Amino acid sequence: MSDQLPPDPRLEQAGASDESLLAVHEKALGKKPEDGAHYRLLPLMLLFVFSGLIFYAGTYLNHFSGHYSAAIFNENAHPAKAGAVAKVDPLVLGKKNYDLVCTTCHQATGMGVPGVYPPLGGSEWVNGSDERLIRIVLYGLKGPIKVKGADFGAAAMPVFGQVAGSGYNWSDEKIAAVLTYVRQSFGNNSPAITAEHVSAIRAKEGDRKEWSQEELLKIP
Amino acid sequence: MTTASTAAPTAEVTEIDATARCPLLLLLGFALLWLLVSGALALVNLVQLTTPTFAAACPVMTYGRAQAMQESAFIYGWAANAGLAVTLWILGRLSGAPLRSLNWTTAGAVFWNLALLLGLVGIATGDATVHGWIQLPRYVLPLLLVAYGAMAVPGVLAWTGRRQDTTFASQWYGVAALFLFPWLFSIAQMMLVFFPTRGVLQPLIAGWFVQGAWTLWLAPLMLAAAYYLLPKISGKAIRHYEFAALSFWTLLFVGAWTGGRHFVGGPIPAWVATVAGVSCALLLFHYIVVALNLGGAFRPAGSTVLWFVGAGLGAYLLGGVLDAVTSIRGVAMITQFTHFSTAQTQLAVSGAFSLTLFGAIYFLVPRLTGRAWPSLSLIRGHFFAALLGTAALVLALAVAGLIQGREQNNATVEFSAIAVHVKPWLLVATAGQAVLLIGNLLLAVHLLRAVCPFRQAATAPATFRQPPTMEASVS
Repeated sequence: MSDQLPPDPRLEQAGASDESLLAVHEKALGKKPEDGAHYRLLPLMLLFVFSGLIFYAGTYLNHFSGHYSAAIFNENAHPAKAGAVAKVDPLVLGKKNYDLVCTTCHQATGMGVPGVYPPLGGSEWVNGSDERLIRIVLYGLKGPIKVKGADFGAAAMPVFGQVAGSGYNWSDEKIAAVLTYVRQSFGNNSPAITAEHVSAIRAKEGDRKEWSQEELLKIP
Repeated sequence: MTTASTAAPTAEVTEIDATARCPLLLLLGFALLWLLVSGALALVNLVQLTTPTFAAACPVMTYGRAQAMQESAFIYGWAANAGLAVTLWILGRLSGAPLRSLNWTTAGAVFWNLALLLGLVGIATGDATVHGWIQLPRYVLPLLLVAYGAMAVPGVLAWTGRRQDTTFASQWYGVAALFLFPWLFSIAQMMLVFFPTRGVLQPLIAGWFVQGAWTLWLAPLMLAAAYYLLPKISGKAIRHYEFAALSFWTLLFVGAWTGGRHFVGGPIPAWVATVAGVSCALLLFHYIVVALNLGGAFRPAGSTVLWFVGAGLGAYLLGGVLDAVTSIRGVAMITQFTHFSTAQTQLAVSGAFSLTLFGAIYFLVPRLTGRAWPSLSLIRGHFFAALLGTAALVLALAVAGLIQGREQNNATVEFSAIAVHVKPWLLVATAGQAVLLIGNLLLAVHLLRAVCPFRQAATAPATFRQPPTMEASVS
């Protein structure tokens, strides 16, 4: 009907009145299936296309969103793999926890309080056997103890490890970091303590009560 | 199968067109004037890309100022005036009643264009702001906002006071464009010019505005025209019309999120660019539905208006696919921050928007003036000039951008060597822009002849046949 050329091509004739244009399209929205029993494939295809786009979008977002962090600018950087642990300097982690907790008794100088809290700097317990030192922090210590020739015993060393009766539940990594910090500060210069070593001792001893000086001295 | 009915409501030209004549012709006149100004400045800019000494002694014509003037004249001069004229007319027609309060449009148009003129003079004397698509000096921005509101009043009244409860896709897109531009423009003014945000947020807002002005303002204006012209001329209903609303809402919801695609690889948090790229991909759904709906425009069947609409639609769909592809970071590594981005912008504004709007103007003006266009060959000449010019401009810039992007990623290629390699393509782009300008000059001359009262003898009074009633068959 409208395929015939209009009489004057400089004048575009209308193929439909505005009223009928509105009416016909309104009817189309009613979506009465006038195609008999034929199944309409297009809606399904569009659904698949849209789902495909959303799937692609989700995957792409997952790869390159940089955890939606305002600090990550490099979109080509691959996000850290699941389970990866960031490398932490044990001295930094150790000092942080020492300043939070240990400093209360052993003081920021690591020299303790004469007669009450034993010193750490220059202590034979700190710089000596790592087997004994780890056990003290893991399970605590009660009773008299001799440090740098002076007697202590008024206060008990609390339980720090992830063992029964622990008030702190510090992880083995944290204990290793604090001990490494202590062994390399306050004038000390002893080898670092590894988290594996702490774990091994905790596994060997299981749950037990605080150590005493006598028990510790039996350990090499 | 012309219906013999002589009932007034079905007449093709009614008082709806008669009352709108002066304000809309005023808008179209301003639009074409700015289009020519912008085209000439764009030509200067392109010549400067290959011959940097061109007009270098004249401060007004240095690249930065000429570019800012060209862009502002195109967006706020041509696109805003022409888009509003066509959309107001379509909204009036579909409301079934003459547009009301058209004096607001006339007054608004005068102030809008005076403000724009003031703005261009301001840019020429060095008052430009620094953000793309909003480079006009700060003192004209509030005036533009108010003037836009005044111009849009009849469109809003036509929407709220429409005779039928039923609405059509053209009305959705048209009304959305009327309301969304002030939203985008006011926020951009506030956060970029009057109370500028700082640091990373600033380019983000600028990118949001540039992209929003396209996806939420110019593209809806263009789609309003396309959705009206195709069924109106072909006389057949839009295919798969039931999906048009989904497509519309996809554009509205996802469109504004695509702004970050301008910054893939740029100094912003990675997730912003990633979300933008993903939004560009989701927007493909919108383009697929538009292609299904309006595919009939690719079979124009002797209608010159539909030639333009078909070409504009092709540019629109191609632009959508390119946006999605170039926002993938692997591709953006090459195309980002090169002439390729310019090619994409030109494909959108000179291709999709302008070509469709030209078609609408050819359909609209005889109905406003009541006279046929004086010359068919001028229309055809304009079509081929516009098509050829846009294609040459976009293709040449795209190739230049690819060369530039590949070689800039290669540390062994000197920067000056890249300039030599892209030069031939920039010359092709310059030629394309020149052809485009000539074509637009044809339209301007043609429009002058069509409305000039002294040349009425040369134009035939239009005799519109009664439009038939649309059948339920689809186009």
